[in-house]
Amino acid sequence: MFAALGISGSGMLVHRTWMDAISDNIANVNTVRATDEEAFRARYVIAQALENGSTGAGVAVGGIELSDAQGRLVFDPTHPLADANGLVRLPEVDLGEQLTTMIMAQRGYQANIAQVDRVKAAYQSALQMGRS
Amino acid sequence: MAVPAIGGISGAGGLSHLAELYRQQITGSAAAARPASTAAAATAGTGAVQATGTPGVGGVSGVSGVSGGGSFTSALGDGLRAVESLDRTASAKAVAAATGDLTDVHDYVIAATQAQVATELTTTVRNKALDAFNEIMRMPL
Repeated sequence: MFAALGISGSGMLVHRTWMDAISDNIANVNTVRATDEEAFRARYVIAQALENGSTGAGVAVGGIELSDAQGRLVFDPTHPLADANGLVRLPEVDLGEQLTTMIMAQRGYQANIAQVDRVKAAYQSALQMGRS
Repeated sequence: MAVPAIGGISGAGGLSHLAELYRQQITGSAAAARPASTAAAATAGTGAVQATGTPGVGGVSGVSGVSGGGSFTSALGDGLRAVESLDRTASAKAVAAATGDLTDVHDYVIAATQAQVATELTTTVRNKALDAFNEIMRMPL
């Protein structure tokens, strides 16, 4: 019963996970590592459609992919983690890209909420049928 | 949720029981009317009365056969069980929200919405059945 509500809920779960991942990427945008370590690896959520042979069963998180560990080398000789050449490793996270992706995730989440509202209104108007 | 569930099922049982009583009354009055019409009218008229009377009684017993078979009762019972399970899920999520165990805010809201719509659906079905019963009870015998 009420498959549409569960499907929208799965969409909200995926977009919430996506927002979590983006928040983590943005939180670690300035995470500095030494050059002999891996850089912070940005997280990317993989969405996976759920099939049930008819209308579909929504979406699920298929996995979390990580960006490359190379990062970028920045000259910062005053940093405690700087190597002999004065270099440190910063993550390859583009703040502008992360923020625009965050807008997409937020809008997707809101779209699923709007869908729940509309489905609920449709069910309730169906229950009003024939009521004088 | 348990108390309305029991009330709803027994209410539906009462409905079919009353429908059965009503059917017996109709059968009795039709049987009583038949000798009078046989005595009063001509042979062609008697045939017409019996022909119209018998399918009418058969139709009523068909209706009571449907509710006596328990299809409406079991359907309502199944619906109430589904509502109860949805309500229990929503309550568990409300407790999780209060204790801080809820990981997803929308999880609770969707569960509460499902329980709300299911409860509205069940009460609508119950009201419709009650309306139909009251309509039958208002029928002049």
